[in-house]
Amino acid sequence: MEKRFNGLSSVGKMKRTSYYFKVWLKMSKNAFSMMLTHRAALYIFLFGKILRFGFFIAFLYFMLKGTQTLAGYTSNQVVFFFLSFNLVDVLAQFLFREVYRFRPLVVSGDLDLVLAKPLSALFRVLMGGADIIDLITIPPLIFAIYYVAGSLGPTFFQGLLYIVLILNGLLIATAFHIAVLSLGIITLEIDHTIMIYRDITNLGRFPVDIYRQPLRGVLTYLIPVGIMMTLPAKALMGLVSPLGVGISLGLAAAGIFLSLRFWNLALRQYTSASS
Amino acid sequence: MKKYFSVFKISFQQEFVYRLNFIMWRLRNVMQIFLVFFLWDTVFSDPKRVVFGYDREKILTYVFAILIVKAFVLSARAVDVAGDIARGDLTNYLLKPVSYFKYWFTRDISSKSLNLLFAAVEFSLLYLILKPPFFFQTNPLSLIAFVVSIAVAIFIFFTLLFIVSAVPFWAPGMGWGVHFLVTVIIVEFLSGSLFPINILPGNIYRFLLLTPFPYLIFFPIQVYLGNIEGFEFFRGLLTAVFWSVLLWFAMRAIWKKGLMAYQAWGR
Repeated sequence: MEKRFNGLSSVGKMKRTSYYFKVWLKMSKNAFSMMLTHRAALYIFLFGKILRFGFFIAFLYFMLKGTQTLAGYTSNQVVFFFLSFNLVDVLAQFLFREVYRFRPLVVSGDLDLVLAKPLSALFRVLMGGADIIDLITIPPLIFAIYYVAGSLGPTFFQGLLYIVLILNGLLIATAFHIAVLSLGIITLEIDHTIMIYRDITNLGRFPVDIYRQPLRGVLTYLIPVGIMMTLPAKALMGLVSPLGVGISLGLAAAGIFLSLRFWNLALRQYTSASS
Repeated sequence: MKKYFSVFKISFQQEFVYRLNFIMWRLRNVMQIFLVFFLWDTVFSDPKRVVFGYDREKILTYVFAILIVKAFVLSARAVDVAGDIARGDLTNYLLKPVSYFKYWFTRDISSKSLNLLFAAVEFSLLYLILKPPFFFQTNPLSLIAFVVSIAVAIFIFFTLLFIVSAVPFWAPGMGWGVHFLVTVIIVEFLSGSLFPINILPGNIYRFLLLTPFPYLIFFPIQVYLGNIEGFEFFRGLLTAVFWSVLLWFAMRAIWKKGLMAYQAWGR
């Protein structure tokens, strides 16, 4: 699919991208309609997510009231790290919720039906079911980020770099989700793998500076939670070097490349059992 | 009694069927401890610092104790009860000569035993890797009080879980949603498994002590640390026992009504 896409002219690529965008809109609309049929559950999950966010902010507020700083960062900076973590996390959950529903497809052999369609199977299983609950929480989150960022007094360039690095973080999250899907085909294990990914990224709720070496190194380069969650916030505060930005962009590109290779390898291992 | 012992044995063996799942679940527990440990490790990087009434030794002991107390209290198989009701599988148990509550309580104890074994190993490994200053309680009275408070906590969580799991009697599609809200969000934050709740302002802390949640994690650990003893311990224990009794009666009443509403959908 990737090779076929690369072989297209630029007009062809645009047409293909627009086609996929339309398919994504259609799939998202279907996913939203399905969720809206269980309104009570939707409200409970939405309330739960807002409550968890509120509890955590309250915890940070009261903790920092007593400690004043955390690893040298002020209260506003710590809150900004937390909000940036949430933005990457919520965006990834909104876009890639379908990954959580992948296991039954592989176990039942229904993945055959996805593979047989004239559409990238990866696209379908990765982005086939956007989450309306996360979508609802994105606008207030962006507003909160805008508000707290204002208190940190960034320059226009720092703001721009923040957006670029958030998108870069999202790219790394994409690579992780593709890797989880691939692992799911090989081992039939998704539920815990994706939750472990969530637990690891949760370590990015705070700046990775709080972790000791070698964990800090692991979280920066090996499992680049620091690059996904901490670096964008640091860029806005003017605390990153051009080299750091270059490395993070390189890591995201490498992550996407390797995860796609892993996906292709996993597909070759798919046995279509139970179908 | 013999049949419940068999349930215990079978349930224990069942945990080993999906070994990878179990190991992943334990790995997740360790990951969660990392966040809390390093957060407080950073806050208390100065060994002489005292914040919220804690010094470095006591706060890091609190973090390590979370691992053990969570294995005791929060690891439970009864989370599957909601699914049993929603799928109509409850019927299978209603036809058998077993008490459904006792059956799940036995399965819970089995799960706790296994989780505790693993938690002890993880505790030792993390202790060797992170080398935290650890407060060893030597007062036998505090240790007995700790065991008693753990026993009450186990009972409170069991009843709470069964009350939450009863929701599918009336709304089969809501089981996981309510679990997410109560056991994942509310219990996680208000029980003290992320931070000791006495870092909150006094009035909020005092209000929380009137709810059942702090008696799941926070109270037993405070008892272990020797921060709660004497009259304060008995007052806390009395509140915890009050909640156990209240939740027990509430659970029985809800289940009585639920069983009348039960339609064995899916059977």
